Amino acid sequence: MAVTQEEVLNALRTVQDPDLKRDLVSLGFIKQLRIEGGRVAFAIELTTPACPVRDLMKDQARVAVAAIPDVLQVDITMTSQVRSSMAAQPSGGLVPTVKNIIPIASGKGGVGKSTVSANLALALSRTGARVGLMDADVYGPTIPTLLGITAAPEVDAQNRITPVESHGLKVISMGFFMKPEEAVVWRGPMLHKTVQQFLGGVLWGELDYLLVDLPPGTGDVQLSLCQSIPVTGAVIVSTPQDVALNVAQKAIAMFKKLNAPILGVIENMSHYVCPHCGTTDEIFGTGGAQRTAERMDLPFLGAIPLATPVRVASDDGIPIVISQPDSPAAQAFVQAAERLAAQVSIRAMQGELQPHVNVSF
Amino acid sequence: MTDTKTPVPIEIGRANEHDVKIRWQDGHESVYPARALRLACPCAGCAPPPPAGQAAISAVKPAETGPVVRAGGGGVAETVHPVRIDLVGRYAISIQWSDGHNTGIYTFERLRTMCPCCSAGGVRQGARVETD
Repeated sequence: MAVTQEEVLNALRTVQDPDLKRDLVSLGFIKQLRIEGGRVAFAIELTTPACPVRDLMKDQARVAVAAIPDVLQVDITMTSQVRSSMAAQPSGGLVPTVKNIIPIASGKGGVGKSTVSANLALALSRTGARVGLMDADVYGPTIPTLLGITAAPEVDAQNRITPVESHGLKVISMGFFMKPEEAVVWRGPMLHKTVQQFLGGVLWGELDYLLVDLPPGTGDVQLSLCQSIPVTGAVIVSTPQDVALNVAQKAIAMFKKLNAPILGVIENMSHYVCPHCGTTDEIFGTGGAQRTAERMDLPFLGAIPLATPVRVASDDGIPIVISQPDSPAAQAFVQAAERLAAQVSIRAMQGELQPHVNVSF
Repeated sequence: MTDTKTPVPIEIGRANEHDVKIRWQDGHESVYPARALRLACPCAGCAPPPPAGQAAISAVKPAETGPVVRAGGGGVAETVHPVRIDLVGRYAISIQWSDGHNTGIYTFERLRTMCPCCSAGGVRQGARVETD
C-alpha cells in the first residue's frame, strides 16, 4: 500500500502549535510535502525562527507521521516566515518593509530598558530573524555604547539614513547625530519629527522585528510612535519593587489607551547571585513584575538577574547575549526573546483573522 | 485600570456627499453630520478650556492650524466638510477639513461615545463593544 498525501496530512492535523492552539495543517505550516514510496519529506514553516517549541513540534510531527503504516522514513525541514502584524498599514505607510514594530517601555527610568532592548534584539537576531533596533531615547541615547558603535550612519542626497549594522542588527540612534557632551533640548514637535524620520527616513529594508527603545515616561515620543504606525505591541520592563511597578502600570495604561496590545512584561534586576558565596539576594524584592502581569492578565516574558557581567558586557559594547551566551543572564534574555516572538506570532495570526479598518473618504 | 475595550471600526466612509459613516465591529453603524463633527473637534485649540482650577496648557496658534471652533460654533462655515480621513495608529482618525483645520485626533472611543443615534448614556443597551 502506498502512503497517500491525505494520510500524512491527517496525521499532522493531530499536532498542535501550543502557542497558536491550532494544528499544523490548518495553520498552513506544512510545505513541500513529498511522498516516495515509504519515504515522506516535508517542511514545517513556523511563524518565527525564535519559536520556543520548534523542537517539540518537530518531534511530535515525526512521531505522528511515522505511526502511519508503511511509512519507513520521515524527513522534516524546519523553516520560518515571520508574519506581519502591520496588515492594517496602508501601502504608502511609513515603514512598509517592516513586519513588526515593538516598543520597549517602562514608565520609570533606570530599570534597564536599553540593556533589555539590545539583548532581546540580539537574541532574536541570533535565531536568524532580521532585526532592527531604534534607539528612540533621544534625551539619553545609550544604544551606541551598549553595542560599541562608533561609526556614523550615512545620509544620502535625499536625506535618507542608512542604519549602522552592528552584531547583525540594523541600528539607528540619536546618539549618532550628536556629540557626547551635547544635549537634546527639544519641545514636542521636534520629537515628533525625529520619530517620523527614524521610521520613514531610515532605509530599514526588510525586517522581521523592529525593536524601539523608548525614553522613560508617557510623553511625546511614545505618543508620536503610536500615532505614526500601528505598533505590533509593547514590551514593559520593570524592576520588582513597588515604585517601579506603579509607574510601569502607567505605561501599560497609556498603551491600552492607544489601543496598542501589551505583548508582555519583563522583570529586570530580578535577583542578585553573589559571585563569591553564591547566596541569592533579592535586592528589589522579586516576582513583583510577574504578579503584576498575572493580575493584569498580561503575558510574563521572563526574569533577568542583576549580574555584574551584564553591566560589564554592556559597558564593553558587546552585550552578554553575544559575549557570554551560556551565562544565566544571557539564557534569561534568550528565553524572554523566544516568548516575545511567540506572542508576536499569536498577535499576527489574530490580526489575520481580525477585520481591518477600511478607510474610504 | 479600566477593562473596557476600545471600540473598533471596520469601515469608515461616506454616508452621503459630506457626512461620515462608521461601521463598527459589533455591526452598529454611526452617521456623523459633517459640521457637527467639525464642531466637536477635540484638538487643543478647539476643545473647551479646562475647568477652573486646572492649569491651561494649550498654546496653539490658530493661524497655523486653520480656524478653531468658537463657543456656539460661530466662525465655522455651514458647508464645512472633511476632505480626507487618515488612520492614526490603532486607535483614532484624523480629519483634514475643507476650512484647512487638521489638528484634531478623534479616538474610536470618543467617536463611539458621540454616536448621534445612541442614547445620551453613550453606547446603547445591548450593543457589544470589544476589540477581539
